Amino acid sequence: MAPTLLPEFFALLGIDLFLLLSLLTCLLDERFPRAIPYIFQVAALIGFGHILVSREFLAVFDEYMRFWYNFFYLVIALGNVVAVNVYFAAAQKMWTIAKAWAGIVTFPTIVISVFFVSNYGYIASVEFPMLLLQVGLVISAIVMGVSITFFLSPDLLHKLRRRKEVTQWK
Amino acid sequence: MEVKRILFRKELKLVTLLLTSMLIASASAAVYYSMVMQPDVTVSTPTIKFVQGDDWPGGSLPSDGTWVRMTLKAYPNATLTYDEPLNISNTDLSNAHTFRLRHLSISPASGSQSVSNFTFINFVIKDNTGATRALFYYNTTTDDWNLPGTTPYLSVNANTAWTLYVQTKAAAGATTSIEANIQIAVDVEE
Repeated sequence: MAPTLLPEFFALLGIDLFLLLSLLTCLLDERFPRAIPYIFQVAALIGFGHILVSREFLAVFDEYMRFWYNFFYLVIALGNVVAVNVYFAAAQKMWTIAKAWAGIVTFPTIVISVFFVSNYGYIASVEFPMLLLQVGLVISAIVMGVSITFFLSPDLLHKLRRRKEVTQWK
Repeated sequence: MEVKRILFRKELKLVTLLLTSMLIASASAAVYYSMVMQPDVTVSTPTIKFVQGDDWPGGSLPSDGTWVRMTLKAYPNATLTYDEPLNISNTDLSNAHTFRLRHLSISPASGSQSVSNFTFINFVIKDNTGATRALFYYNTTTDDWNLPGTTPYLSVNANTAWTLYVQTKAAAGATTSIEANIQIAVDVEE
């Protein structure tokens, strides 16, 4: 029998999202406070502790409870991805980076998360608004596809490179 | 000052974060994997179980039918036959399952003078049509038992019961109240 998805998978996904955020914010460090990448690393470490506790108390916590606290952790991680996106768009007014971030980070992570959550919902019969999840999955997939087509076109890269050169000359 | 500048270089920060990220990600994945690989054991009813036959000689047979103890008799110089003391039933309604008989132990052990009181204790497995499917014979040569070999695996069709047929015989002039205890394992392939 193929192993089914455990609720801790969502915590694992959340950890990977925090690590991704940590590395990306380190790459874009001039636009963020210096401590941000390390804060995301600490958040990922907390997730690791989360999985360890879950394993130690596997017999005590029922699956329903395990699912909700792991799902909550994933929602926090996704919230941070969206928050960084909003930070670029609203606080920094960097629309091009915000759009690129939405296309290559925010929507793909939402697609992956929604896919696994809906999959788990089918297997474990968790009471979820399945229609809402499916609509969310379709919308995220469409936005991701459009982003790949338009926002990450060679024109945009060219534009970004040109803007950097102009900044350097100033 | 130079050292501080090197420490805060972007490349160094990135490499450090990359290494710790790899460490955290692989440790988390290892913990998750260890959870996935924990076996699930569910208590369920056995597929092959023992059921009392029409010729049940007495003994013990728990309701789950996972083991059985039969109290058989043997008469001196006369063959005693139990036509249907015990049934071996496949309770699975859709799948065939296989089983075999395997000798575990017998007492009195070979070499004991008590052994010569018995001539044979024969077990025969018959299928639902009455055809013989396996022989499992214990017989004696003076003070020694001739033990049976393990039977091949026998396939019982779904929702079918087979019969264990038993014949016993004690030696002429055998001492009464002498007991032989035989332990036989039934190996079932699920």
